[in-house]
Amino acid sequence: MEELFSRFTSLNEKELVRLDKAFGWSLSAAELVQARDYFRKAGREPFRGELESLAQTWSEHCKHKTFSGPVRFRSGRKVKKYRNLFKETIVRATRELDRSWCLSVFKDNAGIVEFGSDGKWGLAFKAETHNHPCAVEPYGGAETGVGGVIRDILGVGLGAKPVLNTDNFCFGRLDSKKKLPKNALGAERIFRGVVDGVRDYGNRMGIPTAAGGIYFDDGYLLNPLVYVGCAGLIPAEKIEKKVRPGDLIVSIGGRTGRDGIHGATFSSANIDEETSSSAVQIGHAINEKKVLDVIMRARDRGLYGALTDCGAGGFSSAIGELGSETGARVRLENARLKDTGIEPWEIWVSESQERMILAVSPGKMPALEDILNSENCEYCVLGEFTGDKRLLVTFNSETVVDLPMDFLHGGVPSVEKAAVHRPPRISRRPPASRAPHGRALRELLSHPNICSRHSVITQYDHEVQGGTVIKPLQGRYGDGPGDAAVIWPHAATGSVRDHAGFAVAHGFNPAAGRLDPYLMALYSVDEAVRNLVCVGAEISRTALLDNFCAASPAAPEVMGSLVLAAEGCYDAAMGYGAPFISGKDSFYNQSRDAYGKDHPIPLSLLISAVAPVADVRRAITMDLKRAGNPLYLAGVSRKGMGGSVYNEVHDTRNNYLCPLDIKAAVGTYGALLRAIKAGCVLAAHDVSQGGLAVTLAEMSFSGGFGAVVDLSSAPSEKGVSALELLFGESPSRIVVEVSREKETEFRRLTGGLPVARIGSVQERPELEAGLGGRGLLKEDILVLKRDWKRELL
Amino acid sequence: MLIEIWTRDGYSGNEEAGLIDRLSRAGLEVGAAKLSRLYNIDAAWPRGHFKRLLSGLLADPITEKGSLSGRPGLDGFYRVEVWLKRSATDVVGESVREAVHDVLGLAPRGVRFGRAYYLAAPGRRKPAGGAAADPYQARLRAVVARTLANEIVQTVTIA
Repeated sequence: MEELFSRFTSLNEKELVRLDKAFGWSLSAAELVQARDYFRKAGREPFRGELESLAQTWSEHCKHKTFSGPVRFRSGRKVKKYRNLFKETIVRATRELDRSWCLSVFKDNAGIVEFGSDGKWGLAFKAETHNHPCAVEPYGGAETGVGGVIRDILGVGLGAKPVLNTDNFCFGRLDSKKKLPKNALGAERIFRGVVDGVRDYGNRMGIPTAAGGIYFDDGYLLNPLVYVGCAGLIPAEKIEKKVRPGDLIVSIGGRTGRDGIHGATFSSANIDEETSSSAVQIGHAINEKKVLDVIMRARDRGLYGALTDCGAGGFSSAIGELGSETGARVRLENARLKDTGIEPWEIWVSESQERMILAVSPGKMPALEDILNSENCEYCVLGEFTGDKRLLVTFNSETVVDLPMDFLHGGVPSVEKAAVHRPPRISRRPPASRAPHGRALRELLSHPNICSRHSVITQYDHEVQGGTVIKPLQGRYGDGPGDAAVIWPHAATGSVRDHAGFAVAHGFNPAAGRLDPYLMALYSVDEAVRNLVCVGAEISRTALLDNFCAASPAAPEVMGSLVLAAEGCYDAAMGYGAPFISGKDSFYNQSRDAYGKDHPIPLSLLISAVAPVADVRRAITMDLKRAGNPLYLAGVSRKGMGGSVYNEVHDTRNNYLCPLDIKAAVGTYGALLRAIKAGCVLAAHDVSQGGLAVTLAEMSFSGGFGAVVDLSSAPSEKGVSALELLFGESPSRIVVEVSREKETEFRRLTGGLPVARIGSVQERPELEAGLGGRGLLKEDILVLKRDWKRELL
Repeated sequence: MLIEIWTRDGYSGNEEAGLIDRLSRAGLEVGAAKLSRLYNIDAAWPRGHFKRLLSGLLADPITEKGSLSGRPGLDGFYRVEVWLKRSATDVVGESVREAVHDVLGLAPRGVRFGRAYYLAAPGRRKPAGGAAADPYQARLRAVVARTLANEIVQTVTIA
């Protein structure tokens, strides 16, 4: 292959593709031709480091070519063209909403919104995926995923202080009977490794992990999804960063080694039996904690003008990005190395963890060095930012890269992708009841997508920093499933008199996506906003993150689903008035098994939502509080069992997904929020997986009270069946416990809306549900809790 | 020098039961299980230095025990050792190396961290003759590779 590479400019397309496969670049044929033509025009053969740089910079992971590229979408006879799918959907909503409290969106490592009432602080929020590494080595993959997203927060603006980690996982079913290919890790193995990795990194960094979810589906058996997020506080005057010619390029933190070579390009490849161990990354939380401490001190003393993290692509990506407007001169012999046998181009693209790049004025270097030494944090000066807009990288006298920045960042060819939508067959027949309702409820409560996550959650330190007001486990016994986390970031602001906080919640529904990707996006945004309402967050100031994961975008059906989901994101953002502030996508989540069969994941969209909580002392939880209090259901129960957990357990032969009325949902949520602020609501819990019966059961056993409800008074669509009332998962519904002393005020605040009293809290530990005098179920809440509280790990 | 640390009987029940359950779910019945942590400290020091590290740094004297010459009393158990490959960064090893320096004022050339699992087949003793004469050991190896180690980054030895 070295011989082939030595005559790169004379290779034909077939030879280029062969070379690409051998060197692991994951460049497309068009990109290889573009690179070849550039060097032909330059009149020389490329250096290995140059092709490696192009492969990193042009990778799907770094450039997001699919989402930001042109798409031709066809649905039936209708054809729609997009020049840039991302900008015409997700970014467009943010631009049109034009919220003044959005301080920095889509231009830095994370989105930043205003925090608090005095204008002094920004709240940065970002979520990432680390799917491919976790499929190969779950522990290291999860650790470095967490480490990477924390560095995104450290690297946003001039550095934010992390105050919350989030985690959302998708795994194959632990009881899956499917035969795995020879080298694939089993679902339990991946699950256990990922949880251990998230725990060890977050706990050692001293950042609470307090919001997340776990979803099981055999579509993720070979390709787990690991979404990791982080939120942090940044002083408002520290949001702008600037690199100036003459600034030193300073690398701080971990040393550079062979670990993680080709991580960025690896994420654009299908995982197969020949996956290389070099793509595995190893995390070192203690090193990152040192970096965090240095950055916080140096930021406040104004010792650097810009910074970013070394993520995918390592130095090549971080320095290339920071120096894109100026140019950079890099001397790799100055890098601190883990081992000496490493090639210069490997130093350049290595994804060794816990490294950040700072742009430091030479006059401020001594003061920065003092801090680095006092924190025992290693560092090196790699070179300087220039003004010539070229990237020149050397190792002693050897040239590694010599490219103009505009080709590196703007040279990638754009290729139109075909997208097509073929809707599945939808049945609206009356759903068939397959089991007594009480038994069905117990089965649903023990379903892996509904049962307790305590064996995972309790491994995480969600109390560190002392600001987790609403915790992931709630209720009388501290084990009820919360809807959202509420954080009081006094450890970052330094003020214990200001009780301003924020809430974080998620929405995720790949089961709906299999039926209708557009509705999936609406449902997911609605779920995230609904969860925020349940803790009393100010949803008119909701900001969203989108994290898409999909199979290969070369398949028009995959692209078609993506287009519909992106359109759904636009409509949902506009409808809820909630701008997207950051996001990420991950493609090629598919694997070929030992028999040559491809296993793509279902389209998966995680919506993460953040909203302020004006006074964290007034935030509420989901557990029932007092016998005799009335229970209300807000939102209309609609027909359809599509995407429900019930359908997975007992197929009702109805897979209809009801439409979502965003306007009605916003009206209802606004009224509920006013009632919460007025102190009328003591508990709120959203209706999601498992439906209303599961929501009532969870509220009951978390509070240690029973409940008696008659669903004939529930706001509902005409003709909705008892099964749909109990177990249907139509969106936009919340169950609330109202203080009986304030019921009149509650009714006044929610008047004219689909909010109705369905029953009351009772001392007797039983959940009783009826429909106009007909008993539907009557279950002991202790038995329900026993079924729900199974050990996942 | 290889230092082995394990939890005293009476404190280790949950950990051992959890391991037996995991292996059982992966298709291997195990009669008894014991777990140890291994620290391979690369330094030519007097034995007393390592003893000091064992008692003063690596083992909790209330709940744990340790040895410089292997764990006694486990005849008939299979010993499974799992180590990170040399090419993989060993974060625990690096941290321990720093701690060793802080305790002794001397830096070892390197520290590697590993784990040992002692597993007994249900109702029978380990036969002599190694893996070739022992189908249980072959099965153990396959299950360990699926549950306790990832051979992309780790090495496994069974004795």
